[in-house]
Amino acid sequence: MLKPARTFRGGYRFKNFNGQARPVIVENQIPALVTIPLKQGFGTELKSLVKKGDTVFAGQTIARDDSVVSSPIHSSVNGVVEDVKRMNYFKRQTAMVIIRTTNTSKEIPRLEGCSVEWARLSNEKIEELIYLSGVSSLDREGIPTRFKSSIIPTEEVKHLIVHGIGSEPYNISLDLLLKDKNLLNFLEGVKILKRIMPNSKVHLSLNAKKKSIIEQVTKLTSQLEWLDIYPLEPKYPQGYDEMLVPTILNQNFPYGYSAANIGVVILNIQAVLGVYEAVCEGKPFIERIIAICGLSIKDNIHIKVRVGTSLKDILAERIKTESPARVILNSLLTGFQLNDINLPIDRTFSHIIAIPEKREREFLSFMRPGKTRDSYTRAFLAEMLPWVKRAPDTNKHGEERPCISCGFCERACPVKIIPHLLAKYVQRSLIDETIMNYGIFNCIECGLCSYVCPSKISLMNIIKDGQSKLTMQGCDSTQCILPYFNLKGIEEYRGVTKL
Amino acid sequence: MRFIKSTLDKVKIIAGNNKYLKTFNPVINAMDEFFFGTDKVTTLPHIVDNMDIKRLMSLVIIALLPVTIASIYFWGLRVLLVIMVSYAFGGLIEVCFAVFRKKEIHEGFLVTGLIFPLILPPGVPLWVVAVGVMFGVIFGKEVFGGTGRNIFNPAIVGRVFLTIAFPNIMTMNWQMPFNKGLGGFIHFQNIVDAVTRATPLVMLKNQGVITPYMDLLFGQSAGCIGETFRVGIIAGGLFLIVMRIVDWRLPLAYLATVVIFPYFSNHLIHTQFALGGFQLLSGGLLLGAFFMATDPVTSPFTKPGRWIAGFLLGFLTVLIRGLSGYVEGVMFSILLINAFTPLIDTMLLKIRYKKK
Repeated sequence: MLKPARTFRGGYRFKNFNGQARPVIVENQIPALVTIPLKQGFGTELKSLVKKGDTVFAGQTIARDDSVVSSPIHSSVNGVVEDVKRMNYFKRQTAMVIIRTTNTSKEIPRLEGCSVEWARLSNEKIEELIYLSGVSSLDREGIPTRFKSSIIPTEEVKHLIVHGIGSEPYNISLDLLLKDKNLLNFLEGVKILKRIMPNSKVHLSLNAKKKSIIEQVTKLTSQLEWLDIYPLEPKYPQGYDEMLVPTILNQNFPYGYSAANIGVVILNIQAVLGVYEAVCEGKPFIERIIAICGLSIKDNIHIKVRVGTSLKDILAERIKTESPARVILNSLLTGFQLNDINLPIDRTFSHIIAIPEKREREFLSFMRPGKTRDSYTRAFLAEMLPWVKRAPDTNKHGEERPCISCGFCERACPVKIIPHLLAKYVQRSLIDETIMNYGIFNCIECGLCSYVCPSKISLMNIIKDGQSKLTMQGCDSTQCILPYFNLKGIEEYRGVTKL
Repeated sequence: MRFIKSTLDKVKIIAGNNKYLKTFNPVINAMDEFFFGTDKVTTLPHIVDNMDIKRLMSLVIIALLPVTIASIYFWGLRVLLVIMVSYAFGGLIEVCFAVFRKKEIHEGFLVTGLIFPLILPPGVPLWVVAVGVMFGVIFGKEVFGGTGRNIFNPAIVGRVFLTIAFPNIMTMNWQMPFNKGLGGFIHFQNIVDAVTRATPLVMLKNQGVITPYMDLLFGQSAGCIGETFRVGIIAGGLFLIVMRIVDWRLPLAYLATVVIFPYFSNHLIHTQFALGGFQLLSGGLLLGAFFMATDPVTSPFTKPGRWIAGFLLGFLTVLIRGLSGYVEGVMFSILLINAFTPLIDTMLLKIRYKKK
C-alpha cells in the first residue's frame, strides 16, 4: 500500500552534483589476479578452506564456518590460488586469498537446487541458497537465515525495510537497478524474503522524487497487504538505519547498536536483487554493480565487476590524470579514502568516487558568485540556477575560525543533538555526565555538522574524540540505551563488531 | 592579482627577517587569506560547505549596503568619514589584540565597524566615533576573549557607553535629512538645515505628534545615521533571512511583540503607549531587530530561546520607550537581553535534556 510521503527533521538535501553516474552499465573484463578478503560485509573473519596451489572455479566456496556469525565467501574467477596471506585492509589485518586467473570464461556454475518457481522450494532450501550465495552478509545486519548469517533468527524479524533512497551526494542509479525485468525480480526477491521471515512486515522506502518507479511498484504490489511503500524525501542521511527506523516505524533507534537488535532488518536494493538471483538463478554473489562517480572520472557510468578485482584494474583507464584526485569509497561524507590503489573491492562496495584534490588557492574566493558551489545557506548563485550542476572538491573553502553559534549544525543534525555545544564542552575538557546527557552517544557520525559549519570546525571528529574520552572515564553508551530497549542478540553483535 | 601576490610575498620576506615587524604577522596573514583563500584540504567529511565566515560577514555587509548608501544621501558625504573613522580605530584595536595574542584577525569586526556608525546621530563629532568604537571593541568583545566568546554586542556596548558618557552630544545632534535632487551625494553635511530637530520618538513624547508612516519608511525623519531608511533595513533583513544567515524567529518575535504588546496593555491597564505601527517604524527598532539582536554570538542558540529572547526584547523596548525617561529603548533592551542569553539557553537545555 502506498503511504504518504515522510521525512525527518534536520538533514540536508544534496542537489545536482556534477559527476553522477549515468544509468548505463558496462561489464568489466575478468581481471588477471583477484584478491579476496575473507571478511566481507557483516560477519566475522573466516579461515580459508583452500591453500596455495589449489585450483578453484568461479563461485567455489573458499571460506565457510557455520559456527560463527558469517556467510560463505567464494572465489570470483577460475584459477589457481597463488597465496593466502594477511594484508592491511581498511585499517585492520585481514586474511586474503590471492587467485591468478587461468580461464577467463564468464560462466558461473549454478548453486544446486535453485528454481525459478521458488514457491515450491522449502524454507530451509531457500535459506540455504541465500546463505550459500553469500548475499546474506550484505548491509549492516546481514540477512538472517538458519545458518547464523545474522545475529537474530528469522522468526524474530518484526520489520524488514528495503530502501532505495539515494540521499548521498552521489548515488547508484535507481532507474538502472530497477530497469525492466529487474523490477519484477526485485519484487520476487522481496516476496522470498517475506517467506523466510514470516513474522515481518515489509516496508519499501523509495526516493520520493522517482515518481514513475513508485507508481509502477505500487501497481505491481497492490495485492500484497503485508507490504507498504513509503516515498521518502532524499535528504541526507535518510538512507542510514538510524534515520529509517524512526521515520518509517516511529520507533527510537538504539544508537550504537544495530537495527537487528530491535528486530528490524534493513536491506538495500542490490541485496534484494542478490537474493532473487541466488534463489531463482543460483548465482553466487561474486559480482557487484558499482557506480563510478565524481568529476575526476572520465566517464561516469556503472560497472559490473567481480569481487576481488583491484581498484587499479577499475580506475586505471577511467580516472583523469591531469590533476590530483581523491578516491573515496561509497560516501563523500563518511567514506574511506582509498589511498592504496592495489586494494581489492569486496561485496560491500557500491560507489567509487573520485573528486579533485584542490590545493590551489583561489583569488578572492569568498567573493565569487559561486555558480557551481553547493552550500547549506542560499548564498551562492547555484541556488538560483537549478539547471547548473555543482562541482564538489576537497578544498576547505575557508579558514578555521572560532564558533559563532550560528546554529547551522544544530539545524542540520538529524538526531537532534547540538554539535557546537558538545564540541565546546569537549574542547574545554569538560567531559562528564553532562555531555552524555546532551546525547553525545546519539551521534551517528553522518558528518553533516562538519559539512555545514561556516567556521570550518571538524565537529564530527571532536564529538568522536569526546565519545572515546568519555568511554575511557567509564561512562558507556550502554547506559543510555540498555535500560530503554529490549535488545536481542547483543552478544553476537559484539562478537562481530569487536573483531 | 599577480601584483598583490608579489607584493604580499615581498612583505612576508621583509617581515620574516625583521624582529619587530614579525609581530605584525597576523595582519600580513589576514591580508594573504583575504585575497587568496585557503590551500587546506578536508579530512572527513571529504567535502565541506562553500560558505565561510568571510562570505557570511560580507553578506551582512551587503545587506547593510542599501541603508549605508541611503544614509549618505540623507546626511551627506561626512557619513563616509564617520564610517572610515570607525573602521580605522576599531581595526586598530583588533590588530593590537591579534598581535598581542599572536592569533589571527577575525572577520567579525568588519560588521561591527559598519553597524556602529549607523547607530550614531548624523552630527556626531569624529573623536566621539573613535572613542566609542574603541570602547565597544575592547569592552564588548576583546576582554571576553575575542570573536565567539563575547556576551554583549560590541556595537551596542560602544553606543551605550557614548549615550551615558556624552549625553548632550548623543541627543542633540539630530538634523533633517536631504530630500531634494542628489542630496547628500554632493554635499558634505547639511549645514543649511542644521537646526536641532527632534526625532519622531522625542516629538511623540514631548508634543504627542505622530510622524506620518511614509516619512518614517522612506527616511524623511530625524534619527541615527542608518536607522531612518527603513525600507532598506527591511529589505536587508529579509535578504539575510532568505539567505538563511539569520534565523527568522528572533526578529519575528521581537517585532510582533512590539506591535501587539502596546495594543493589549492600552486595553487592559490603560497606560498610554504609542501605537504598535508607530513603535515598529520609529527609532532603531528595525535595525536592532534585524541586524543586532540576531547577532548569533550574543543571541540564544536554542530555537525556543530565540522566541523567548524576541518576546522579552519587544516587551522591554516598549516599556523603556513608554515609561522611562529615555525615549529610545532598543539599545538598552538588546544589552539587557544579551546578558540574559546564557541563562535562557541553560534553562532551556535543562528542560530539553531532563534526566529520564
